[in-house]
Amino acid sequence: MSRLGLGMSKTALKSSAVYRPTLVRGIKTIPQPPGYIVGTVNDAYVPPKPNKTHGSLHWAREKVVTVAMIPFIGYPFLAGTTTFVDASMSGLLLYHCYVGFQSCIIDYIPKRVYGAYHNYAMYLLTFGSGVAAYGIYELEKKEGGVTTIISKLWKA
Amino acid sequence: MFKAITRLNTLGLRRTLATSAQEQRLKTFQIYRWNPDTPEIQPKMESYQIDLNQCGPMVLDALLKVKNEHDASLTFRRSCREGICGSCAMNIGGTNTLACLCKIDQDASKDLKIYPLPHMFVVKDLVPDLTHFYKQYKSIQPYLQRDTLPTDGRENLQSIEDRAKLDGLYECILCACCSTSCPSYWWNQQEYLGPAVLMQAYRWLIDSRDEATKIRKEMLQNSMSLYRCHTIMNCAKTCPKGLNPGRAIAEIKKQLAFD
Repeated sequence: MSRLGLGMSKTALKSSAVYRPTLVRGIKTIPQPPGYIVGTVNDAYVPPKPNKTHGSLHWAREKVVTVAMIPFIGYPFLAGTTTFVDASMSGLLLYHCYVGFQSCIIDYIPKRVYGAYHNYAMYLLTFGSGVAAYGIYELEKKEGGVTTIISKLWKA
Repeated sequence: MFKAITRLNTLGLRRTLATSAQEQRLKTFQIYRWNPDTPEIQPKMESYQIDLNQCGPMVLDALLKVKNEHDASLTFRRSCREGICGSCAMNIGGTNTLACLCKIDQDASKDLKIYPLPHMFVVKDLVPDLTHFYKQYKSIQPYLQRDTLPTDGRENLQSIEDRAKLDGLYECILCACCSTSCPSYWWNQQEYLGPAVLMQAYRWLIDSRDEATKIRKEMLQNSMSLYRCHTIMNCAKTCPKGLNPGRAIAEIKKQLAFD
């Protein structure tokens, strides 16, 4: 709707500028070219540099991890759990979440518009995933893994 | 003979003129209006009452009627009026479609809202700016590329099976209905190519006569151009030609994964 400009009277514009959250007001976005046109109208769009790690390999890894999670999640239901099965499941789940949030960041905090903030978000995600990985390690060592905790909660 | 005719008349079978007085069925069309010549005036929805009994069955007929009889300043693209040129793509009743292929809902009590294609820059009224869309189309090099000349010196031949692979792809008329219905394209249209362009990329990837497959695949190997597709599938749902760009994108992903 905002691109269409409907429902945007001048007063609404002003008030939104006043009430915009402090966090958003502090962020300077990179201005985009008019009509998103880079170069002349007759130039073809130039794609980013080819990089398999961020292209097909990333996608394939994402899918392989998702499929690999299925047996590790199913196994404890049938035969109880072991540290190996539980750690693998947790690790894969962590990577699955990491990739999911990474995708969100690329979609909603694109480098093209937010510049350095894109990198900050990625650092924060990587840091958070690192903490979570350490958490999984601790859980495996002391509590007997995520599956055990869930089964305890189930019984409680 | 005259007797026979008079008898027909008495039976009430006499043909009457199609335009004889009928009651009016007025339906309200709400149309998005914005004029670049008066940028200080905010965009607004303008209502027009059309008598459905005096109007053709398609939304394009209604638009033409508005332009002819109500407001000549209403601006929209149209050309073929039969769904082959893709000019009259617009958002009708919340769905991206071609005005010439979209039947008017005959329920006159309901208003019909018509907007330009969503999340595109508006040139005027219902005319979106498709420059960037065409630049993206140009970037996939939508033409046959070969290193060798045809063996018979005349044509690049193709087997019937290879030709059949192009069915469901070549019919695309580049109306941009699918691309502009895709949330991923809304957020990242500067870098994400969008379903329409990616389907054409696939069309040239699987063409047995084309020999530039390597370059074609390479330009998609980044996180933005292709992999912003999250299989939302609005593209297949909205396509006025009944094509499935989502499937074509999935096929490209599969090809690249085994590359």
